[in-house]
Amino acid sequence: MTEVVATNQTILVVGGGISGMTAALEAAETGKQVVLVEKRPYLGGRVSQLHKYFPKLCFPACGLEINQRRAKMNPNLTILTMAEVTGLSGEAGSYTATVKINPRYVNENCTACGECGKAVSAEFPNEFDYGLSKRKGAYLPNTMAHPMRYVIDPAMLGSDEAQKAKDACKYNAIDLDMQDEEISIPCGAVVWATGWKPYDAARIQPYGYDRFSNVITNVEFERMADPSGPTGGRIIRPSDGKEAKNVAFIQCAGSRDRNHLLHCSRICCMATLKQCHYVTDAYADATVSVYYIDIRAIDRFEDFYAKVKAKDNVSFIKSKVASVTQDKEANPVLHGVNTEGYHRYANTHDLVVLAVGMEPSVEAGSFPVPIVINREGFIEPASENGGVFAAGSASDALDVNRSVQHATGAALRAIQVVNRVAGTEG
Amino acid sequence: MSAEKKLVGYLCTGCGIGDRLDAKQLLSTAKREGKLQECKQHEMLCNAEGVKMIKDDITEGATHIMIAACSRRAKVEAFNFPEAAMTRANLREGVIWVRPATDENGETTQEMAEDYIRMACAELRTINKPSSSGEQSLNKNILVVGGGVTGMTASLEAAAAGYPVTLVEKSGALGGHAALLHKRVPHRAAAIGTTNSRTADLPQPVDNNVAELITRIESAGNISVQLNSTVAKTSGAPGRFSVEIATASGPTISADFGAIIQASGFKPYDAGQLGEFAYGASPDVVTNLELEQLAKEAGNGPIRRPSDGKEVQSVAFIQCAGQRSEREAHLPYCSGFCCTTSIKQAIYFKDQNPGCDATILFDDLRTPGAAGEDFYRAGQQKMVTFSKGKATEVVPGSSLLVRFQDLILNEATEITCDLVVLATGIVANSGPDPYAQLAFDEAAEGSSEKETLRKALEVAPPSILNLSYRQGTDLPHLRHGFTDSHFICFPYETRRTGIYAAGPVRRPMDIQQAMDDAAGAAMKAIQAVENAGLGRAAHPRSGDLSFPSFRKEGCTQCKRCTVECPFGAINEDDKGYPLYNEARCRRCGTCMGACPVRVISFENYSVESVNQQIKNCNIPDEFAEKPRVLVFACENDAYPALDQASMSGRELTPWARVIPVRCLGSINLSWITDSLNSGYDGVVLMGCRRDDDYQCHFVRGSAIAAERMSKVGDTLSSLNLEPERVALYEVAITDIERAPKLINDMADTIARIGQSPFKF
Amino acid sequence: MSDLNQNMIEKYRNSFLKEVEANVEEGEWVKMCMQCGVCSGSCPLGKHWAHPPQEIFMMIRAGQREAVLSSDAMWMCTSCYNCIVRCPRELPITHIMHGLAHYARRLGLAPKGQPTMAFAQIFWDNMMKAGRVNELKLGLSLYYKDGFVQGIKNSLANMKLGQNMIKAKRMNAVEFFGGHGVKDVSGLQKMIRKAQELEDARIAKYGK
Repeated sequence: MTEVVATNQTILVVGGGISGMTAALEAAETGKQVVLVEKRPYLGGRVSQLHKYFPKLCFPACGLEINQRRAKMNPNLTILTMAEVTGLSGEAGSYTATVKINPRYVNENCTACGECGKAVSAEFPNEFDYGLSKRKGAYLPNTMAHPMRYVIDPAMLGSDEAQKAKDACKYNAIDLDMQDEEISIPCGAVVWATGWKPYDAARIQPYGYDRFSNVITNVEFERMADPSGPTGGRIIRPSDGKEAKNVAFIQCAGSRDRNHLLHCSRICCMATLKQCHYVTDAYADATVSVYYIDIRAIDRFEDFYAKVKAKDNVSFIKSKVASVTQDKEANPVLHGVNTEGYHRYANTHDLVVLAVGMEPSVEAGSFPVPIVINREGFIEPASENGGVFAAGSASDALDVNRSVQHATGAALRAIQVVNRVAGTEG
Repeated sequence: MSAEKKLVGYLCTGCGIGDRLDAKQLLSTAKREGKLQECKQHEMLCNAEGVKMIKDDITEGATHIMIAACSRRAKVEAFNFPEAAMTRANLREGVIWVRPATDENGETTQEMAEDYIRMACAELRTINKPSSSGEQSLNKNILVVGGGVTGMTASLEAAAAGYPVTLVEKSGALGGHAALLHKRVPHRAAAIGTTNSRTADLPQPVDNNVAELITRIESAGNISVQLNSTVAKTSGAPGRFSVEIATASGPTISADFGAIIQASGFKPYDAGQLGEFAYGASPDVVTNLELEQLAKEAGNGPIRRPSDGKEVQSVAFIQCAGQRSEREAHLPYCSGFCCTTSIKQAIYFKDQNPGCDATILFDDLRTPGAAGEDFYRAGQQKMVTFSKGKATEVVPGSSLLVRFQDLILNEATEITCDLVVLATGIVANSGPDPYAQLAFDEAAEGSSEKETLRKALEVAPPSILNLSYRQGTDLPHLRHGFTDSHFICFPYETRRTGIYAAGPVRRPMDIQQAMDDAAGAAMKAIQAVENAGLGRAAHPRSGDLSFPSFRKEGCTQCKRCTVECPFGAINEDDKGYPLYNEARCRRCGTCMGACPVRVISFENYSVESVNQQIKNCNIPDEFAEKPRVLVFACENDAYPALDQASMSGRELTPWARVIPVRCLGSINLSWITDSLNSGYDGVVLMGCRRDDDYQCHFVRGSAIAAERMSKVGDTLSSLNLEPERVALYEVAITDIERAPKLINDMADTIARIGQSPFKF
Repeated sequence: MSDLNQNMIEKYRNSFLKEVEANVEEGEWVKMCMQCGVCSGSCPLGKHWAHPPQEIFMMIRAGQREAVLSSDAMWMCTSCYNCIVRCPRELPITHIMHGLAHYARRLGLAPKGQPTMAFAQIFWDNMMKAGRVNELKLGLSLYYKDGFVQGIKNSLANMKLGQNMIKAKRMNAVEFFGGHGVKDVSGLQKMIRKAQELEDARIAKYGK
């Protein structure tokens, strides 16, 4: 049974992505007891799947390393992975959360030596690469994973493969009899940082994501650009593995659209400008086309936009692409109208990247706690939420910087509640 | 203290270490050469039994422990012994995983492992468990500078957490620019259940909320407000800032604070630069801020134009006026709030001047997020005309003529209207850039550079904080005058510990973001207070209790440390000796690297602790043909990259010996010269990117190291060594393939140019 | 054109947009367009248009009344509904296009001899006679709309088709002599005339 020491002065943080980690660490480093609950087997959330950040073109793993070191060193922080909050009762200052912990089938004895992975041959789609690669049935989610511990895919359970993994472990780290458990955690305040998910591109019927292999999403492109990703960092066409030198980006794919998400997802313009660099850095003779409605390179991101705009081989076309077809060579062909002066086009590209937007991870109606959300499903900063405070992209479509900014503030709001409980609020 | 030192080592034989290496030999090396009192072997040191064994030993008097197992990044929670000084020999990621398990490699692999044991033992002998300096002090009072929405919000948020606040505002009233607004942009998106239609109920402009904030400040109880006041002097450090507050009416107030929030806001862009839009030539051309005044004066009645008081029947908004432009005196950035502000103001006209036509000429309409896009729709519902167009000229007259290029209809056209609103931007209200003064001081007398710097200094704004710091009076700027720092992962990674900028002084932002930012800055301020009270370091070495100290008798008052500290943490006393401010220090060790006489050290990291590692590595004679490549790797990026390379099965030359460093900035040149002198064949330094998009978490550490290394050529030529023997690289944490390759390349270079002549 | 109209078409003023809102079916939606152009790109006949829908909407907002209403653009719409399906702002573009076309014709601004408009007129006149469409006569009217000789040519070219339709009982030759209609034809005609009067009165102030 998992034991968690917590009281009504404990802060519960739901979600271990960049926002949840930030809120948890800021509170813990201020001396507060924090329990962090993460659904995945590791921390870092979606940013751990990004290759680079805009606008510095630096690596998310760099900040993650620092945050994970902070997490490893902090005695005030308890981390539960593969766990989900399923209920919350009580009120600000005295909540009880119900947390379901799914079995990892690997205990803390694991040294990440990798012997189980070598012993197993069963392979599964790798969710870390959005299914673009395969992983073993006994696997380390990524080389930065924290906790640095293997996971046994539940689909292997009861098979010889699972037994092979167990037999390969010299440290008694694999426990195939591990069960789900449900535990109760008292807490005074909750930081809700469940983040976002990419909009399902297959629902944008005219763009053919589900029909054309050379139409991919921006999150997949991010994995493709990563040297430790499915293509080893090569920008290629999924259909034939050829170099993708003529790349098109379709903005607002699923955002600002009544058929999909009504809101602007904020990050996609900047993500595309960043990804333009991936292409032009990879190939000297690259050509990149960005089809957009408005380029929302807000505040000092403008510098970054100006830099990309100055590249000879990147062009911007003010147009929401009407549809995508495919020619005989599996080249995607984009159809539409450049609205600046009405120019009709049918442009052939090697690869099309859909700049899909963000939607809240938790669907409206699926919150295990009563909470005020807006039309788009993002959490509102409403007083009715009591001691539950949204952090990061659970509250709006936010980039990493804004998420961290927001999560730092959310940590303070939670501290205000537990300090009231402790009677130290002055 | 040294009499009570008990050094114990532990060798883990799990994860293949025992299979690949001669454990007996390693134990003997640790004891005989490493001079440990004891060295124990365990088959799985990180399990409960192994950890208990170590803990028991510590209870029974072990003060220093050496763990020879996996990388220092692995099993950190298990090997967490705050009661002891600890070093780790990386035998798994550092040795067996990077070397092929073949018989012919057995010897070099074993030598690698033995060296790492020798190095870890040598390091252990030179360090001690850090303990706080006694300098720490707890002061929960927070100073907030600036009484606009950001400052007021920061005050309320900190106060609500139980931290008393003093709010200093230079004008006679709270509220800042927000108080001048007729209404503000709604922060919320449409409520759940709102249908999407052209008649949908969408959020509209709302009250500016300033009166409510002021009421809350007044009734808070633990917020004291100083109006008509400025900060005349700030000295000290987190936990013990000593501040003089100059008041207009009375005497200067002296008070002590634990942390400071600078919310000095913005200055409106000077629209006088926009002659092409007839600003100044026609009173009916106004800026967005001036329009708020007109709207306020109108109450909820029709807005009238300044020239003749006529009710405005048509208005044009020119977006990005003097912004997003590389032209002289324009702002290159986007101010971020102006699109929604113009929509809000167009709605004023639609609501208050029945029949008024409003056209917004924009390039990109920037209304991000859920609330932003809903507000765009709200403007459209009110029949605001949005036109993608580039305004070129406003012709003054009784009716204004706006010439523009309609980018959709692709024609040069014009519009006549009663009033033109220029959507002008904001300029950070920051103090002077501290490094401008330093650059001026350091520039050669009479040089043209000095002249340029002098001119820049003449127009520098007055100081906001008046810090009595060696490195200037105010927060450093990052770009365009904003006092930002890291701006992605760690927006509050300030370069002046314990002082946090918030709101539009930090980066262009709207009211909603400024309020979020204020809460974040308040969070960091109370955290800084708590850390200072315990003597713990702030980010990124959060919780570190070590701090730099120096041997005064050896110091030559050269001031390198006080100049190079990326955080301005070190002052100078009257005689030019460094004055450390522990709570301002971030423990990067850049001062230690800077010191030419090696008098600066941390208890657990020093010139000596690394020197001993260098010296205790075996250097085989030249006939053995086993070169040695010394690698200094930044512990945050390069070292994890090497770890991950190892995990993914990439090989590393058996000649490499890697020493993790806190920051490349902490590398003392003596390490390079000493190692080359003692027979190492090559040295590789791996630090973070150091250009404008620097990735060094100590901001300047990597850049400073590069500057120092630019002089290493002289040392090499004086030793008669080839320049290729020392290489400095920018290595990212994702350079999993490249990082080991760079080291292997050095091994190849040595194979090509030959071994060092300095071998015994 | 009256003075009133001179004032109304001032550039980038809402007068024409308001006129469209008042008189064009679903015209209230025009202001909601965000100029993404997906409608223009989605139209299967797009390349035959002088002005695609998104541009028409911008022209309306720019006050280009003459150019919009005398354009043949909106007459090209075949009601495939691609644009409506894809419009991210939910504009009922097809309806607006037909609404604009209708409005232009009522004002007499539609281009002369526009074939879609001619067909619509024939359809309307045919329908008004008996209260329902007489398909045989509709077909013949269409064949003969460009004169007797052309009508004979058209009829001969389609004779086979006509015979097959009669065989399949999809058309009745007797319809040529009157054909059946609704019960109270004059009542219907009165109703429609009244509606037209009301509409005329409403748009009278907008003139030509």
